[in-house]
Amino acid sequence: MEANFDPTAYKMKSGLEVHHQIYTKKKLFCRCPAGLYSTHHDAEVLRHMRPTLSELGEYDGTALMEFKTKKNVIYLLDRQSVCTYEMDDTPPFPINQEAIDIAIEIALLLNCKIVGEVHIARKQYLDGSIPTGFQRTTIIGWDGWIPYKDRKVGIIQLALEEDACREVSDIQHTITYRTDRLSMPLIEVVTAPDMKTPQEVAEVGRVIGDLLRCTGKVRRGIGSVRQDVNVSIEGGCRVEIKGVPRIPLFPTLVYHEAFRQHQLLHIRDFLIGKLTSREHFKGDIFSLADQQDRFHHPLIKEAIHDRGAVLKGIALRGVKGLLNATTQPGLTFAHEISERIRVIACLDHLPNLIHTEDHSGLGLDLEDMKLVTNSMRLKPDDCGVLVWGSIEDTQTAAQEIIARVEEAFDGVPHETRQARRDGLTDFERILPGPDRMYPDTDSPPTALTVERIEIIREKLPPQPWVMQEQFVQEGISPHVAHELSTSPNRLLALKLMEDKGVSPKLIAWALTELQKSLKRKQVPIAQLNDQHWSKINDLVKNKRIYREGLPNLIAYLAHHPFDDPEDFLTAQNLLPLPPTVLAQTVAKISEQNVQVKLYKEENRPKVLMGLVMHELRGRASGEQIWLCVQKQSQKR
Amino acid sequence: MDNSEDLKGYRGTARNLLIAHKARVWGDVVVQTTQGEFTGIILPRSETADDQHVVLKLPNGYNIGLRVDTIHKIEEVGYKKAHYKIPEKTFPTNPLKANVTLLGTGGTIASRLDYRTGAVIPAFSPGELYGAVPELVDICNLNTIKLYGEFSENIGPTHWMGIAKAVAEHIEAGADGIVIGHGTDTMHHTAAALTFMIQDPPVPVVMVGSQRSSDRPSSDAALNLINACRTAGYSDIAEVLVCMFGPTSDQYDLLHRGTRVRKMHSSYRSTFRTIGERPMARVSPSEIVYIREDYHKRRRDDRSVKLFPYFDERVGIVYYYPNMKPNVIESMIDNGYKGIIIAGTGLGHVNKPLYPALKRACESGIHVYMTVQTLWGYVQMFVYDTGRDIMDLGVIPTDNMLPEVAYVKLGWVLGQTHDREEVKKLMLTPVSDEITEREPIDGYLVMQGGLPEMDYYFKSYKR
Ligand SMILES: [Zn+2]
Repeated sequence: MEANFDPTAYKMKSGLEVHHQIYTKKKLFCRCPAGLYSTHHDAEVLRHMRPTLSELGEYDGTALMEFKTKKNVIYLLDRQSVCTYEMDDTPPFPINQEAIDIAIEIALLLNCKIVGEVHIARKQYLDGSIPTGFQRTTIIGWDGWIPYKDRKVGIIQLALEEDACREVSDIQHTITYRTDRLSMPLIEVVTAPDMKTPQEVAEVGRVIGDLLRCTGKVRRGIGSVRQDVNVSIEGGCRVEIKGVPRIPLFPTLVYHEAFRQHQLLHIRDFLIGKLTSREHFKGDIFSLADQQDRFHHPLIKEAIHDRGAVLKGIALRGVKGLLNATTQPGLTFAHEISERIRVIACLDHLPNLIHTEDHSGLGLDLEDMKLVTNSMRLKPDDCGVLVWGSIEDTQTAAQEIIARVEEAFDGVPHETRQARRDGLTDFERILPGPDRMYPDTDSPPTALTVERIEIIREKLPPQPWVMQEQFVQEGISPHVAHELSTSPNRLLALKLMEDKGVSPKLIAWALTELQKSLKRKQVPIAQLNDQHWSKINDLVKNKRIYREGLPNLIAYLAHHPFDDPEDFLTAQNLLPLPPTVLAQTVAKISEQNVQVKLYKEENRPKVLMGLVMHELRGRASGEQIWLCVQKQSQKR
Repeated sequence: MDNSEDLKGYRGTARNLLIAHKARVWGDVVVQTTQGEFTGIILPRSETADDQHVVLKLPNGYNIGLRVDTIHKIEEVGYKKAHYKIPEKTFPTNPLKANVTLLGTGGTIASRLDYRTGAVIPAFSPGELYGAVPELVDICNLNTIKLYGEFSENIGPTHWMGIAKAVAEHIEAGADGIVIGHGTDTMHHTAAALTFMIQDPPVPVVMVGSQRSSDRPSSDAALNLINACRTAGYSDIAEVLVCMFGPTSDQYDLLHRGTRVRKMHSSYRSTFRTIGERPMARVSPSEIVYIREDYHKRRRDDRSVKLFPYFDERVGIVYYYPNMKPNVIESMIDNGYKGIIIAGTGLGHVNKPLYPALKRACESGIHVYMTVQTLWGYVQMFVYDTGRDIMDLGVIPTDNMLPEVAYVKLGWVLGQTHDREEVKKLMLTPVSDEITEREPIDGYLVMQGGLPEMDYYFKSYKR
């Protein structure tokens, strides 16, 4: 079934949210140094999060759900990287203007329109990942686009926001966060759901990544980029896969989520076929505490004896077959339930449930099954779930299980999911709505003047796709043009090409292929600055050296960046040969090899060419040598 | 000033634009601009913001400002007025639980967003607040009365007397404890005033507020309120107390005596500290742990309160600084002040050029008292000649009374008598620890980072 699944047949749509940290000296709302990470901490703070009302006077659904989990949130504080702002004991300082300028630059590169006035909003997060309970975020640009294949992919908005904490551990009712990354400025690029296949999502992700890196103003390295992928199919709904670290993971994740939605729609039809509507579904909760000692199952025994758990049963009436219906490859609806209660009821000791439809051999034995059937009065068309833990947590779990089955009558629930290593996903939380956004009353609005925007626009680096087009126009192959237009050498290449002294192809080769090959040979290419490259360019332009001589010259300069290249050329005997000397050399080598027998005599000039090139190591251009060699061959 | 709700906060160009397009605040609109089309809800604007932008709430929840000169059409397609309201719940009463009366005065424990100023305003009724903190059900039966809706900085003597009378009234009506919601900036002034105005109450009178407003998930409001209600309903300390976070972590509150407490940080949760003494107790949702034993015990069988709601407003504090000119004192004399509290340097000193002015003040019947701006420690004017000279002018030292407390007390005393000896007797006879006979060895604690023992403390305790 899975192998034949084609997401495009179900009108799959997918969009991306790319979060990328930007280079600023300081954090976004305080004066702490940006990018200083450590695993050391000097102090801890304990907090709890409580839902609040939105601006329009309603509680957000996610917020209420997360409050049910009643977590103790511990923040680890490192003196070097955080101040009392990150602790939420000091109000925000005025927003970092350097960060706003970078965000404007990126927004303009994404062809966005820029807001007239920046309003800081609070986006509520009750998982504790931000000590205030909300992320300060603001829209800088909106309604942009990037080119992709022969069309445009829409950019809904570009936001500037503070980063959240790093999670250290999440065990039952205690979640621990490190705060060094907190409040680091990052931009969020939100695309329209314009991608139609899993592969397109990855490709568009690369286009955005290339663009962001080309500014030189985004951070690199682990944790500096996080991407959320949202997916829906026709009849399903928008599900967000959060925090995918690497683009190559996109296609599989998107594919599996489209498949999951497809399966959940099947399950919806199956449930409606059985009970017509969710109103006819009934779930009953049973305390099995007084019978729990009679169970054989090792998981139950261990939980009761080792961890003092109590057992609870949930009878799901009239939905037999639901729990082992496939949702993701190798996973069933029982996994959806297990994940919900792991997150919401803090039952994080997995497996956290056993059900009556588990025929894998790890399920209930006959006697246990009889016990369950009798104690919960299961009819042939019912199924049952057992959970264990504290009285409060199992009660939350039982209610949540019933709620999840009810949701299944509607198909795909709005939720965020987390990526697993195997390309499948786990439940993370209910997808928050716009209700969780409200204005940040601690920060005044900031007008962005037309002058400010125009000054940034003037200095805008060309977008990689514009550059690529330019390079192709210069006769460079599309493949190399793409590589060069997204490389750190892009602007250098442009500058050298403007000089018109050297063929663009040669410049492209030197700055891509040649550099890579020298790097592989451990040549410290990074030692060379733009001036070095200008000098090299001039040498080539003035025919002081030829393409074939470049590897040696560049390697030498990289090792001795303060030396004059002229000296090297002289010392290494690399200066161009006068034409007479070249002819003599060709004649000499030709003589030396005249006895050599060739398989095909007409290849002789080519062989001779190779030998001469090797001997001369770039003291003459290939073209000159070839002419000379041909002359030599004609002489014979 | 605009008086129309429909244009709330908008003025000048922006206001004219809205009028021209028949658009209004909370209108669900489609806006045509030179930059494209927008849909969203027009939000009220802060009155202090410029008149060049219209604020729009986009469907995704973000707010943005649109430049007025880019807008060419606004079309209203709906109207969505916000009803920022916490569900007001009626709570079941339980005869086994204590009856606590919550008096609301404003401040951030009872606050919501104001879109005109973009700031937090005191507007949750205590009943709404009650709805926001369902845990209160398990603690007490709560009666809520809204006395005022004032920012802390706007609370003054009239409010102190009003609150004192309301407290007495509700104690006499049978409350097992009183909780007063109050902004934190001047909570310690009010706490001192209430200590003087309500003496010998039979039940606890607990002041509470929050440093992070209740519109934030990380607010301290709920825990403070829970702990204050527990203290009011069940603690044995029948005094005026301030109940606020002990550490910055969500762990427990400290109960501070109303005359020795002071706000010590502009934004920390754990901002309230007892100065020169230990706090009275520590309270958490699970327990009340008494730290001091010398407190007025709760009385179960009488409802009598000694009420002294008096205040003479012609009192001021002079915070001395080097090179202060005598005209500071003289202008107070000329403006009819009847009492001056000096926050002097060190043990209680001011410079010589001030002497004639102080002399004139005392001779013209103004009551001048000396406190220390060091906050910790006693006024000691016998150690140096300067001190003795200042006393000879008629300035009276107040031992270790905090400057703000001395200000409140002098106003309260002068509200009752202007007789010099009588005033002095009342000022120097402590009602409740505003002057203490001795400073305990752990009464002065301003810890310093960077020491090994502090590093250990920081690492080991969630402060
Ligand atoms: Zn900081």
